[in-house]
Amino acid sequence: MSDFDAIVVGAGPAGSAAALELARAGRSVCLLERGPTPGSKNMYGGVVYGRILDTLVPGWWEQMPVQRWVTRRSTMLIHDDRALTVDFRHPGWGAAPFNGATTFRPDFDAWLAGLAVDAGASLVCSTTATGLIREGGRVVGVRTDRPDGDLRAPVVIACDGVNSFLAKEAGMYPHTDAANFTVGVKETISLPREVIDERFGVRGEEGVDIEILGCTGDVPGGGFVYTNATSVAVGLVLSLPALAAGGDRPEELLRRLKAHPAIAPLVEGGEVLEYSAHVIPEAGYEMMPELVGDGILVAGDAAAMCLAAGIWLEGVNFAIGSGAAAGRAAAQCIARNDTSAAALAAYRRALESSFVLADHRKLRAAPHLVMGDLAQRGLPAVACGVMEDLFTVRNPEPKPGVRRIVRTQMRRHGVRARDAVREGLRALRAFG
Amino acid sequence: MIVAACVKLVDLRPGVDRLTGAVTPSTTLGCSAADRAAVELALQLADSWSAESVVVCCGPDRADPVLREFAAAGVDRLVRIDATGAPDSADVAGLLATTLAGLGADVVVCGDHSLDRGSGSVPAFVAGALGAAQALGLVEVGTEGPGTLRATRRLDGGRRERLVVDAPSVVSVEGSVAELRRASLAATLRAGDVPVEVVAAPGLVVPPTVTTRPWVPPTRVQPPPQGTAALERVVELTGAMVERTPPRTVELPPDRAAALIVEQLRAWGYLEAVPSEPATDG
Repeated sequence: MSDFDAIVVGAGPAGSAAALELARAGRSVCLLERGPTPGSKNMYGGVVYGRILDTLVPGWWEQMPVQRWVTRRSTMLIHDDRALTVDFRHPGWGAAPFNGATTFRPDFDAWLAGLAVDAGASLVCSTTATGLIREGGRVVGVRTDRPDGDLRAPVVIACDGVNSFLAKEAGMYPHTDAANFTVGVKETISLPREVIDERFGVRGEEGVDIEILGCTGDVPGGGFVYTNATSVAVGLVLSLPALAAGGDRPEELLRRLKAHPAIAPLVEGGEVLEYSAHVIPEAGYEMMPELVGDGILVAGDAAAMCLAAGIWLEGVNFAIGSGAAAGRAAAQCIARNDTSAAALAAYRRALESSFVLADHRKLRAAPHLVMGDLAQRGLPAVACGVMEDLFTVRNPEPKPGVRRIVRTQMRRHGVRARDAVREGLRALRAFG
Repeated sequence: MIVAACVKLVDLRPGVDRLTGAVTPSTTLGCSAADRAAVELALQLADSWSAESVVVCCGPDRADPVLREFAAAGVDRLVRIDATGAPDSADVAGLLATTLAGLGADVVVCGDHSLDRGSGSVPAFVAGALGAAQALGLVEVGTEGPGTLRATRRLDGGRRERLVVDAPSVVSVEGSVAELRRASLAATLRAGDVPVEVVAAPGLVVPPTVTTRPWVPPTRVQPPPQGTAALERVVELTGAMVERTPPRTVELPPDRAAALIVEQLRAWGYLEAVPSEPATDG
């Protein structure tokens, strides 16, 4: 006897999107959330790319809780006290249909879960799914930490976040390698709106997202800075094994980033509102679990649907895309009264034909490339050195040729030409 | 017999602009541990006396989902006095007393403080309006038959006062008295459909919200310590070893004492110096 047509575990973007699709298909769905409210256990904010919402929530930009619309994206290479920034502005991203936005996840998650509830989903908060209920090898429900907490349904959609215990219990994560994970640490720093506007060169609702390479010392990773309405988020994404093996602590690395001459003027004088940390499934396609089992689907961070490919750092859109696909596939299977793994495989096929798996497969080599030695050390050092030599005027000496400058810098930083060419070709293949 | 619990639902995550003091309400409402303890105690008393349990609050309709959590825990009836803003405690108590009298509540249990300002005055106002016995700030509550409570009240200096309180009564309890039971999953799911009885609050005057700027101490540039060793720098920063004027005690008439204080404040630079009298030609 089933209590619901489907159970969705986790009211994050993936879970709420899945519950929304199921409820709209007329299915009874229970959306379980561990926190007291959706998004309550999330880090303060993030950048969300809303194109995926076009079909799910038409006109989403008129109702989504937004801090700022990202109209300026920068990639910064840092070496020692120098920095080289590639800066792109597009005022068009600040108007409908928009592109990306910074948002506070507690607000965003509550909004998306609210849409699912409005569509008919039953949201149950402060309830942890502690395990799966199985019958004859297939998943038929979940156990929760509430009294009389067993809940049964033909389909369980595990959207319980990175390090998914449900997916592991279902045997869908055969191998877990710490090297596939990073830890993100972030400070949210309060600053007056007009100060942010002035420092980042934006106006009104416009916002900035800066991705940084070369700012993590001996630990492979990257950094980021983005603007909220009246705060700035500064953070790092750090390789877990390297962090564990080395002597540097994440907060010390973050302190160094904040003190860098390229970052300090952006955040100085602000008051830290929050320091938080979160594990990130960094390796993308290479670490994805089985997505489909008998009576169970996995979506969002639980399925490693996080794209960490250097210039593209996206997660929420992949979570929503995978969650919505899981919801649609589950609704169709429930209608046909067949929720076996074979029937639910429609979910994987839907992901393969969408950007979710297409992007992950295409960029499968990118995470390792970005975390490699050349991208982490050689590229920022050589790029900053080349820029310094190009723009330092040494009259009465004549200007050196660009090739000579590049060769000199590569030699100085131990980057061999053949390694650079090899990595360049890998990058071309990885990024298509 | 009816046992009622009164709770105050407050905004758990109001956004406060640190520069302007402007408050932005959030969608998340909740109540204090003391209020949750009050609900649990009301449930225990109702179970023990075979009485009906009621939770009453004064707030907007977005409080309903939180009230339904109490229904999931086993409360029989939910009553909300429809009010928005931040009405005065005496007004809230008056509305609660009217509603409780209408319900015929015999024993009323409140938390001894709410999450916002938490003065604990509402239970006393309610008891006064109902003409009921009151016992406030209880740390332990038991029963002595239907309608009678045996309670322990916290006093100053670590002392305790033991009370026997007969109905009709209004008591307030600390959060340590009880922990609200965890609702079963089935009850939690059912609670979504539990009706909340809404009582109008005619004539309620909500004072306008006053926005004040938070006090920010003036900043001053502090030169970095010059010491080479860490201890030297700490000593320099704290001023621990710096010679200073010792405090002195003077016994003077009030007017001369005040003049001396003003003079000293001027000497320290906290008050502007008095401009010197212009010289007059004789």
